[in-house]
Amino acid sequence: MQFNIDLNRLQKSYRIIQAEIHPDKFISASEIEKKQSLIKSTEVNDAYQTLKNPIKRAKYLIKINLKSKQKDSTLPPNFLMKQMEWEEYLESIWNQKEELEKFKLLISTEYQKILNALENACDKNKNWNDAMQIINEIQFIDKLNHKIIKQINEIETK
Amino acid sequence: MALLQISEPGKSTMPHEHRNAVGIDLGTTNSLVASVISGTASILKQTNNSNLLASVVNYSSDNTIVGIEAKKLQIHDPQNTISSVKRLIGKNLSDINQKNYSLNLQNKEGIISIKTNQGEKNPIEISADILKKLKKTAEDNLGNELYGAVITVPAYFDDAQRQATKDAAKLAGINVLRLINEPTAAAVAYGLDQNKEGNFVIYDLGGGTFDISILNLSKGIFEVQATHGDANLGGDDYDQAIFNWLSENNKINTSDAIIKQKLYALSREIKEKLTDKTTLTINEKINEKIHIKCQLSQKDFEKITKNLTKKTIDSTRHALHDAGLSVSEIQGIVMVGGSTRMPCIQNAVEDFFKQPLLNNLNPDEVVALGAAQQANILAGNTNDNLLLLDVIPLSLGIETVGEIVERIIPRNSTLPISMGQEFTTYKDGQTAMIIHVVQGERDLVKNCRSLAKFTLKAIPPLVAGAAKILVTFQIDTDGLLSVSARELSTGIQSAIEVKPSYGLSDKKIKKMLEDSFNLAKEDKESRALSEAKTEGLQLCEMIENAIKEDPSLLDKKELNLLQKNLVKLKKLLESSDRNNIEKITKLLNDNSQSFAAKRMDKSIHKALTGKSVSSLEF
Repeated sequence: MQFNIDLNRLQKSYRIIQAEIHPDKFISASEIEKKQSLIKSTEVNDAYQTLKNPIKRAKYLIKINLKSKQKDSTLPPNFLMKQMEWEEYLESIWNQKEELEKFKLLISTEYQKILNALENACDKNKNWNDAMQIINEIQFIDKLNHKIIKQINEIETK
Repeated sequence: MALLQISEPGKSTMPHEHRNAVGIDLGTTNSLVASVISGTASILKQTNNSNLLASVVNYSSDNTIVGIEAKKLQIHDPQNTISSVKRLIGKNLSDINQKNYSLNLQNKEGIISIKTNQGEKNPIEISADILKKLKKTAEDNLGNELYGAVITVPAYFDDAQRQATKDAAKLAGINVLRLINEPTAAAVAYGLDQNKEGNFVIYDLGGGTFDISILNLSKGIFEVQATHGDANLGGDDYDQAIFNWLSENNKINTSDAIIKQKLYALSREIKEKLTDKTTLTINEKINEKIHIKCQLSQKDFEKITKNLTKKTIDSTRHALHDAGLSVSEIQGIVMVGGSTRMPCIQNAVEDFFKQPLLNNLNPDEVVALGAAQQANILAGNTNDNLLLLDVIPLSLGIETVGEIVERIIPRNSTLPISMGQEFTTYKDGQTAMIIHVVQGERDLVKNCRSLAKFTLKAIPPLVAGAAKILVTFQIDTDGLLSVSARELSTGIQSAIEVKPSYGLSDKKIKKMLEDSFNLAKEDKESRALSEAKTEGLQLCEMIENAIKEDPSLLDKKELNLLQKNLVKLKKLLESSDRNNIEKITKLLNDNSQSFAAKRMDKSIHKALTGKSVSSLEF
């Protein structure tokens, strides 16, 4: 299994499997089949959620591949600097919808860049320690992105 | 569409085995029952030829009265007449404003109890009386015994409200095929009618609640992406807005109960009339002194209810955000609930989505019709391929130190879902612990709904922190929670005692059921024996079929064990030895779990490879 997967195919496969084993297909079946269908259907939902989300997917890959932890997973200094800059900038444009929209675009480009780095670490270099560090960065960007979207929504509902 | 349909064994019934299945919309004000007859979903008529059954029950005499007849008695006999029981189900007294009720309400063992001439009645029993009436309507119309029903609940109903609804159905003697969310049912009615594909929004504004759901439809699969809503916003609030406007503009003192009542009735009438009038002239004598003469235009009505409508649009925006979709990615908007008839609602929703709305089905009937279609499919009466993948509407969490909620299952997770959480002991030799489960989005326990307290017992006595208990929270396709626990270091299954914060314990429900059957002791025994035999027989047939189909999935030892117990059980089935029939049935059940799991895996592989050959046509 690798990090870069075809999400379209994932969704199709998920739906094919659920159409086969979902508890709704076993309403009149025996108790054993009902129980197994509930167990399997739950597992498939869990697997789908794990694979669909890039952060969860990478975390899963690390879990099954990383034998020994070498680096501590604190953020590198240059990323910490960036992080502070972004936080300060966000504060300065907090009530300006258009600026927030622009910033959102910038952040999503950053997100895409770093996602590529994660793909490289996982699929090309198989460097799971690197991957772990990148995930920390992605999680920060993800949170920042949610914060921006939430504030844009907040302004829109006013 | 399909040329030749071959049903798989165990999954579909033969055409001649038609099962009477219905969809039930158990509403706050009115309830409906519908069924698919000769391929078309239709509402089944009540004895008075109406499509609707008023959700009102009267207990003044020994004879329980349900429907419009009970509603007529409400004015004269308010103490024995219960309406809007849906607002009480799955709740306790502290959740509701008692001033709004003329009933004699009490708290009894965690649930509301109402004193009537027939004795104390709880919301589960009252709902069961409405359901019994609907069941009779169904059987009178369909001519035969009912096989089962799909019952709809608001998407925003929490675990306690869902459980209570299901218990009510059991008490009414109804086999619940599935509880489904009202907006999802509406989507089924529209989707099946028109073979739609894409992202759909269901905007559901009823008398007292608002639900918004976003679904993705594709080749018969309905995947709920997000749901949001407001359990305290509905058409009643629009009446209130007119009420306030009337009393302010005409300087009416509304402290008098009779004036208040009349003004409410007038407000509701005005709201309904404004549906197809641009301006309404009001000329109404409330009493000798008060004579209201004024005009209200649709525009002004829109203005005075702007805040209410805005709240629904805010919820809609929230749901879109949760689904990760923008307005331009929505292919259709389905309007559900009588309150969506208001032009100001239609305009606001149309403006927000910038496209015309789907409202060609009767908004009062669409939920029951969709539920009927789903019931027909679940009962195996049709080979229509339809699958509903619904979500949990509210996050599930547990109480941690400082009354803080730790979220275990986030809202909008697809069902069924389960999540494990590890706990440990904090005292040496500790053998029990309590886990408090809550539902809601807030961080503090007091701001969420308390669902249940679980007591874990039989934890092996170890030093503090050594015992590791894995508690698994499972939510099934009805949105109902069950909990199991295992101590990891010893593998001991912990005994769990559940004390629901609301609703009734399993024990109590069982007793209520038994009382309702009112059977003599011998009858009970013969009933139990016949149930045990049916279960045993079904199991034998299932396993024998499975062995015939997939002998390669069993090794010799497993096969021998199954066959040995099959022979044993078959012989017992000819006797009246209920205890042993149950014992061997359970044994055979346990023996065949892994075989059943392997068969399920095989069917997954088969489905995936089969579909990839024909180029995944989704």
